[in-house]
Amino acid sequence: MNDRMDRRWKRFLGVPRSALGSLVILFIALAAVFLLSFLLSKTPARTLRYFFIGPLQNTYYLGNMLNTSIPLIFGALGVSLAMRAGSFNLGGEGQLYGGAFIATVSAVAMAGWGIAGVICAIVLGAVTGGVMAAFSGYLRMKWQTNELITTFLLSNAVSLVVGYLIAGPFMDPTTNLIATRKIPESFRFSRILEPSNLSSALVMALVMTVVVHLYLYRTKSGYELRMYGLNPRFARYGGINSGSYLVLPMFLSGALYGLGGAMAIFGTYYACMKDFSVGMGWNALAVALIARFRPVAIIPAALFFAYIESGARNAMLHSDVTFEIASIVQSVVFFLVTSSVLQRIGTKRGRG
Amino acid sequence: MSDTAVTMHDIVKTYRETGRCANDHVDLTVGRGEILCLTGENGAGKTTLMKVLYGMEKPESGTIAVMGKRVKIDSPLDANRLGIGMVHQHFMLVDEYTVAQNVILGREPMHNRFTIDADAAKRLVDEVIHAHGFSIDPSARVGSLTVGQKQQVEIVKMLYRDVDILILDEPTAVLTEQETASLFETLRTLRDTGKSLILITHKLHEIKAISDRVAIMRQGRMVGQFETASVDERELAGLMMGKSFSPAIEKTPYGRKQETVLRFAQVSVVRRNQGRPMLKDVSFVARTGEILGFAGVGGNGLGELESVLAGTLPISGGTITHRGKDISKSDAHRLRECGLAYVPSDRLKVGSALEASVSENLIIAARKRFSRHGMMRGKHIMQHARTLIDTYSVQGTADMPIGTLSGGNIQKVILAREIAQYRDYIVFSEPTWGLDIASSKFVHTQMIALRDAGASVLLLSSNLDEILSLSDRVLIFSRGSIVAELEGERLHTVTKEEMGAYMLGMHVREAAHE
Repeated sequence: MNDRMDRRWKRFLGVPRSALGSLVILFIALAAVFLLSFLLSKTPARTLRYFFIGPLQNTYYLGNMLNTSIPLIFGALGVSLAMRAGSFNLGGEGQLYGGAFIATVSAVAMAGWGIAGVICAIVLGAVTGGVMAAFSGYLRMKWQTNELITTFLLSNAVSLVVGYLIAGPFMDPTTNLIATRKIPESFRFSRILEPSNLSSALVMALVMTVVVHLYLYRTKSGYELRMYGLNPRFARYGGINSGSYLVLPMFLSGALYGLGGAMAIFGTYYACMKDFSVGMGWNALAVALIARFRPVAIIPAALFFAYIESGARNAMLHSDVTFEIASIVQSVVFFLVTSSVLQRIGTKRGRG
Repeated sequence: MSDTAVTMHDIVKTYRETGRCANDHVDLTVGRGEILCLTGENGAGKTTLMKVLYGMEKPESGTIAVMGKRVKIDSPLDANRLGIGMVHQHFMLVDEYTVAQNVILGREPMHNRFTIDADAAKRLVDEVIHAHGFSIDPSARVGSLTVGQKQQVEIVKMLYRDVDILILDEPTAVLTEQETASLFETLRTLRDTGKSLILITHKLHEIKAISDRVAIMRQGRMVGQFETASVDERELAGLMMGKSFSPAIEKTPYGRKQETVLRFAQVSVVRRNQGRPMLKDVSFVARTGEILGFAGVGGNGLGELESVLAGTLPISGGTITHRGKDISKSDAHRLRECGLAYVPSDRLKVGSALEASVSENLIIAARKRFSRHGMMRGKHIMQHARTLIDTYSVQGTADMPIGTLSGGNIQKVILAREIAQYRDYIVFSEPTWGLDIASSKFVHTQMIALRDAGASVLLLSSNLDEILSLSDRVLIFSRGSIVAELEGERLHTVTKEEMGAYMLGMHVREAAHE
C-alpha cells in the first residue's frame, strides 16, 4: 500500500518535471519569434499579432489550423510506429499521395456503393500506402537493403507515376485543374466548424492515436514490436519471429500515411489534385520528431506544428513579412523544438 | 614524492534514480607499485567508487589525491591526464576497428593536423604489445577476437596512454584459467615496473593469488583494508558477507531415472571462407536429472555451441534431436516453442532490452502466457514481476528500465525469467560471470534445485571451479571437438592442471562416447 502511494506520488511529481524541458523550449522558441519579428519586420507588433493571434482569431482560421493537423497526425503516427520497431519510413510523401490517389479513384468508381464504398475506398488507400512501405521492409528482410533509402526512392518514383496518372488517364476533363474527378458528395465527411475546412476526419485522427497507443502498449504484437525495436537480438533470443517485425510495422506505418491521404481527400479536397500533398509527409516526420515518437504526444505536437504554420501564413498575408522570412521563423522554431539537448532539461540524467 | 598513488577520502555518492547511497563516507588508499584488490558483494559500491576515481561519476563530497596532490577529476580524460586508466567489465571497444585503431582512439599519432599516421599507430601499438608480452595482432579486427584478447586490447589501450594507476573491473570474470594466469603474470610485471593496480573482484582465491593488499566494501561502506597475507579466505568471505559463510556446494549424487532430452549427433558448423570447422563432429546426449558441464578455452567452440543451442547459428552437418524430435533446422522461435530455456553469456546485448522495464524483460519468452486474445494482461505481468523480484531479491522495481540495475541484478532478472519458464532443459552460459559470492551461490543452488527436480541442465562456463563443483558429467572442448568426457570417479579426481591439458588439446579423447 505504502509502495503504491509512493509510486503515485512519484508519477505525480514526474509530470511537471518532464514537461519542464518542453516549457523551456517553448519559451526560447517564442523569444526567437519575437526577436526575428523585430529584426525583420517594419511593423513587428502587427506581425506578432497575426503570427500568434491570427490562427485563433475566428472559427475560420481556427478550423483550418485544426484541419492542417489531421494528415500530420496520421503521418506522424506512421513514422512513430515504424520507429518503435527500429525501422525508418522516409517514404511518407509518396505513401500519402499514392494512398490519396487510390482512395479517390476507388471512391469515384464505387459511387453507387454507399457507405460500403466509403469504407472500401479508404481501406484501399491505406493498403496502397501500406504495401509501398511493406515492400521496403520485405527487401530489408530478404536482402538487408536499407529501408531508409528504399522507402525514400520508392516514394519519389510513385509520386511521379501518380502525377502522370492524375494529369493523364485520370484527369477530370470538366475542370481546368490538374485533378481527378471529385468523389461523390454522399461520400464526403461532414464539415464540423463552418465556414472552415475542418471535417469530422479530426475525430478519426484522435481515435487512431488512441488505437496506435493501445496497439503499442497493450497488445502482444505491440509488445513484440517494441522489444524488436529496442533490441533485435533480444527479441530473436526470446523467440520473437524477427522477420515479420521488419515487414509488419512498415506496412502499418505506410497504411497510416495512406489513411492520412485518404482523410485529406474525403474531408477537405474531394479530388486528388496534382501535388496537393507536397510537404505533408515531411511535416509529419517533423511532428513525430517533436513528439519523440510517442503516440499520445503526437496530438499536441501536430497542433503546435499547425499553429506555427498557420501563424506564419497569417503574418505573411496581413503584414510585411515575406514568404522567406515566415519560413525562416518557422524553421528556427522547429529547429529549437527538435533539439534533444533542450528536451532533456529537467528529466533525469542518463547513466554515463 | 609520497608513497601513496591514490588517496580517496570521505567519498559520498548517492544515485538520484534509486536514492541509494552507493558510497557512504568511503576512504581508500592505494600504494605505489602495489596490487590492491577491491572486493565486496554485488552492489557494495566498488564499481561506483572506481567510477568516481575515473571521473565517470561525480561524488557529492569527498576528496581525491593522486601522487600526493589534491586533484579534481571530472571526466575520464582528466583521469587519463593524471595517469589513471580503467578497464571496464563491459568492454568499450569498436568491433569494426582494428586493434591498433581501437588503442589509439582519442590519442592518435598525427602526420599533421588532419591525417592520422597509420604506420606510426601500428608501430607504437606493436611496441606496447611486445613490451608487455601480449599476443595480439595490432591489425586484427577487434570483432574477431576472443573475450580474453579483447581484454588485452583494453589493457594495451591504457598502457598506450602511459597510465601509472590502472583500474580493472572484474578482469577475470570472462577469462579461462589459462588466460587468467597469463593476465596475472602481466599484472605482476606491471606492478614490478612501479605501476599501481586496482582490481575489482569477488573471487577469493584470486585475491589471495594476486594482491598485496585487499580493501573490502559492504553496502556502500569500507569495511576494512588489510595486507592480503594477514587474512585467509574464510575471513575475507566473512568480512564481505557480514556473516559466516561456507563456499562449498552441497549436492546429492544423482540417482534419478535418466531420460535423454537432447541428442547431438555428429554436429558440425563450418563457416564460409574458414578452413577449420567451428564445431566438428560434436556428439553428446543431455539427460534429465543431471548437470552437464562444457569446458573449453575461448575460441574453441563453446561460443558456437551456445549459438547452436540457442538456435541462432545454423549447423552445417549432423542432427540435433529433442526427445526424439529432429530440431536440427529449428530457429530460436521454434526452439523456444520446444521448451528451450537459456541464460545467455551476453546479458546486455542478447539477454535483455536495456530500455524496456524489468517487467517487460521478464515476459519475453512467456509472452503468450501473459496475453489473452492478443491483449497483454498488465496486472498479471506486474504480479509476475513483483513475485520474481521478491523471490530472487532483485534490487529494483518492476517498472524501472532494466538498464538502470547493476550487472548482478540484471543477471538475476534473466535467471528468474528463464528458470520460471523452463520445461525440461535449460542452458546456462557463464551464469555467474561478474556475480558476487552470495549471488553465485544462489545461482548454483538454483541449478542444483533444477537438476534435482529432473531438469536437464547444460552449463557452459570458463570457470573451472564452477564446472568441477557443479557438473555430474563434463565434456571438454578443444578446437571445436569434444576431447574428453569426465564422469563419476574420474571427475572427482581430475585436477585443474589436467583439465587445462585437455582444453589445450594435449591429450587425445579417452572416454569413448556411447
